[in-house]
Amino acid sequence: MNLDPNKSPAPQEPEPTTGSAPAPVWLFVLVALLAFWGMGFLDSHGGGFDARVYAPYNSAKEVEDEWPKSGAGAAFARGELVYREVARCILCHQPTGLGSPGQQYPPLAKSEWVLAQEPGRVIRIVLNGLQGPITVTGQQFNSNGMVPWRDTLTDQQIADVLTYIRSEWGNNAPEVKPEQVKAIRDKTAGRPGQWLADELLKVLETE
Amino acid sequence: MIATSSSWHTVSPGPRSGSVAPPAEIDASCRVAVMVLLACAAAWLVVASGFGLIASLKFHAPNLLADSPWFTYGRVQPAQVNALIYGFAAQAGLGIALWMIARLGRTLLVQPGYIVVGALLWNVGVKLGVFGILIGDTTGYEWLEMPGYASPILFAAYAIIGIPALLTFHHRREPTLYVSQWFLLAALFWFPWIYSTANLLLVFFPVRGVLQAVVDWWYVNNLNQIWLGFIGLAAIFYFLPKLTARPLYSNYLAILAFSTLALFGGWGGIHSGAPVPAWMPSLSTVFTVLTAIPLIAITINLNRTFTGAIAKLKESLPLKFVVFGAVAYLLAGALAIVSTFPQFSQITHFTLFTPARTQLFLYGFFAMTMFGAIYHVVPLLIQNEWPSARLVRAHFALAMLGLAFYVGSLSVGGILQGLALNDPQVPFAGALNRPLVCFRVGTLGDLLMTAGNVCLALNLAWLLARCCRACCVPAIMAAVKPQMAEAAR
Amino acid sequence: MNHGPLIFLGVFFALALSWFGLVFESQLQLGNAQPTTNLVNAAQLYPQMRPGQARQGLDVYRSLGCAACHSQQIGQTGRTYDVALTDAGTNRSAVVDTLLKVKPDATAIEAQRLLEKPPATILKDVTRAAADAAVAKFEPTGAKVEVRVIPTGPDIARGWGKRRSVAEDFLFDQPAMLGSQRVGPDLADVGSRLPDANLHSLHLYDPQIVVSKSVMPPYRFLFEKRKIGREPSPDALKLAGKFAPEQGCEIVPTDEARQLVAYLLSLRADTAIFETPMTVARANVSTNAPAATNAPAAQTTNSVAK
Repeated sequence: MNLDPNKSPAPQEPEPTTGSAPAPVWLFVLVALLAFWGMGFLDSHGGGFDARVYAPYNSAKEVEDEWPKSGAGAAFARGELVYREVARCILCHQPTGLGSPGQQYPPLAKSEWVLAQEPGRVIRIVLNGLQGPITVTGQQFNSNGMVPWRDTLTDQQIADVLTYIRSEWGNNAPEVKPEQVKAIRDKTAGRPGQWLADELLKVLETE
Repeated sequence: MIATSSSWHTVSPGPRSGSVAPPAEIDASCRVAVMVLLACAAAWLVVASGFGLIASLKFHAPNLLADSPWFTYGRVQPAQVNALIYGFAAQAGLGIALWMIARLGRTLLVQPGYIVVGALLWNVGVKLGVFGILIGDTTGYEWLEMPGYASPILFAAYAIIGIPALLTFHHRREPTLYVSQWFLLAALFWFPWIYSTANLLLVFFPVRGVLQAVVDWWYVNNLNQIWLGFIGLAAIFYFLPKLTARPLYSNYLAILAFSTLALFGGWGGIHSGAPVPAWMPSLSTVFTVLTAIPLIAITINLNRTFTGAIAKLKESLPLKFVVFGAVAYLLAGALAIVSTFPQFSQITHFTLFTPARTQLFLYGFFAMTMFGAIYHVVPLLIQNEWPSARLVRAHFALAMLGLAFYVGSLSVGGILQGLALNDPQVPFAGALNRPLVCFRVGTLGDLLMTAGNVCLALNLAWLLARCCRACCVPAIMAAVKPQMAEAAR
Repeated sequence: MNHGPLIFLGVFFALALSWFGLVFESQLQLGNAQPTTNLVNAAQLYPQMRPGQARQGLDVYRSLGCAACHSQQIGQTGRTYDVALTDAGTNRSAVVDTLLKVKPDATAIEAQRLLEKPPATILKDVTRAAADAAVAKFEPTGAKVEVRVIPTGPDIARGWGKRRSVAEDFLFDQPAMLGSQRVGPDLADVGSRLPDANLHSLHLYDPQIVVSKSVMPPYRFLFEKRKIGREPSPDALKLAGKFAPEQGCEIVPTDEARQLVAYLLSLRADTAIFETPMTVARANVSTNAPAATNAPAAQTTNSVAK
């Protein structure tokens, strides 16, 4: 480079030009190959473009399958879903299972009705609802009543939600099977209205 | 395209009519505007290097400046990045871009006065932004840390610079487009779009939760790969053929590189372990791998253009910078493709490897290319040679050595760090031991690069001082002399 | 041909593509995300909003740029399965028999011991198929056996979290500072890993108190040195040796320090939600158990938290 500050810079080079050599064909082949690879990669690693799928899972079904399906654990999880989202028992009986004494919703936690070894009475309550006063854990509750779920929930759902409330909040009673629910549903098929607590107490638990 | 009234441009012939403007006139029209941008860029480069040095030293002496919240690492590091990107890279890029658009269009620069105003406003914005980061108003988003009171200033300044640039392009008297013009035109549009989108979705009307990170990663990737990448590539495609006096090997390859880079380059940025659904990192991986195509196209093009011209390297220092930048670009691109695969990124993510790669791209490719361009363009603008060729040579040597130390040591350190972090038996504190030793070499590299940047600033200051003395003093004397004569009488 | 508008359109199209694909599509998918059903703890949705102090702490975290060295994203590379016995039931001999079938290398005495204190892990680190088969074998015996899903990966092995970070974890954070460096450890789950506020305060004051060769700078400016009044303040830091201030002075955290510590304590990512299959070992949960959420840890510690 020129060190003499008084001399003007070197004469200017002309602006660059381009040649017109063709792009090699193999480059286009490579584009196609890479595009093909890319589609395969997205297929196997893209999780089906599902917002719920995170690596290392590859599809929503795989994630779903991971959650327990068999055994009491699965019934518990399904029952929790019924409690919270499907039937929304949570609204009255609360997430803590303590109900609301002020609004006369009885608790499920430590409730002798829930904890009974044979679930006949609670199944009846869920199927046909309840009306009038009821004594739970020594307290009396006189709510407007619990709606019947006979026509809204299936046997499996009722069994699951009862399994759930019988294992949550410190409760520890045996799970409820859908067959038990079906048996009672058939037995009480003709019943018109909600149960009264006194009526229920007359029904033997084993029925 | 844009309706023009005669008050908008001082050149009377319409677009693509009339004779082309001679280069000397074009340079004269660019002189003030481009020099303001380049001089400010050089100044910000030194400032950014200073911040970078402080940040680097804190790794070895954590108590350094520890009592000042302004200089805590978490503020100095973003200050460095923002000063480097928006202070240096943006201004150097815009300055060189303006000159190239004017030269390639064989037309005078439109409304340079506006550009100067825009440049000064841009500097105000960057100063305010960096200050805001240091006092703690940082937004928290990487590479977008400048607070919400600085970014609109930058956006306005960009508009004030960008519109004359577009008009200059529109008024070109050379109808055939050269490759660089494609890249530059694309880059001119790209920045305001991504900058406004990112700021709107992150700072002013924030999106929810992890989407903020997604927008941020999208922005950083587009800023890097597309905006800075296109301006740097435009410069390489311009200066390499020009300084070797050879035609660019293939127009078609260049257009292929342009279109594939534009289509594929914007999708990267989401790394494979990110807390986002699996389809996002997969998309990024696929498209990053696809950027191998433009990389190959550029490699072939530049290689075929350059073969046999190695001798020219000895003659021209700017060419050395530009060739270095080209090689760094290709290397950085290859590393980006390799790093996108989970098997590799599992080792290198969150380690020192990432800043090594960033530095290779930002400094090794973009900054070095801009240095080469600056060293070539400034003497043409000012009609004066660089006062010290030795400083230029020193800059090249320091930059090359510094970058090699920095990138090399941090890459090795990063891989060591990653391997140690992946081994649960190694306690966390222990995982950093060997990388820190590597980082000492990295800090040395930082020092060397800073020294190189200082060489550029000194050289430029010296040149400007000499030039100002040469033309301003006689002008002032000429203006003052009659008054002095008056007073004497 | 006038290339100018052509380039403009092409560029707009290319940019729009990546914007639609990455930004808009993810906004459609995640933009209206709501707190999700927490599948483990029935009492709460996930995530919970951070309480006031922690939210201010997030602002301090942002302002100091902690994300420059700390990441907040735990990764996961795979998963493994355990089989656990939660209830031995009544037919113990059948259960022992099945146990010996499922775990041939165990002796009868070991098997008996497993039944004594459920929950007990019967099989460790097996495939899903093997785990399911084992559970099926136990069905007729009346024992309660479950498959446990355990996420695996280097971050999890290091104890930085029990599962990977997902979008839900950052739902209420503004800004969401995921970080991109691990000069310091990952902080996504630091609230459950290090629930001691005092430790965090000491660490912020001078990291070398806690980690002797720490690279982290001291944040002494987050603390105030003042003369001891009639009695030392309850939240003064207990410093010793070269870190202690001179006689008659004490180091007290400022509001910013308290907020930052509250934020750190609120950083938890140990809740199992749909996207992160994982089994949290269930004790018989009473209603008073602390929730596994992004809320701060139970107030079992220290005088610094307010």
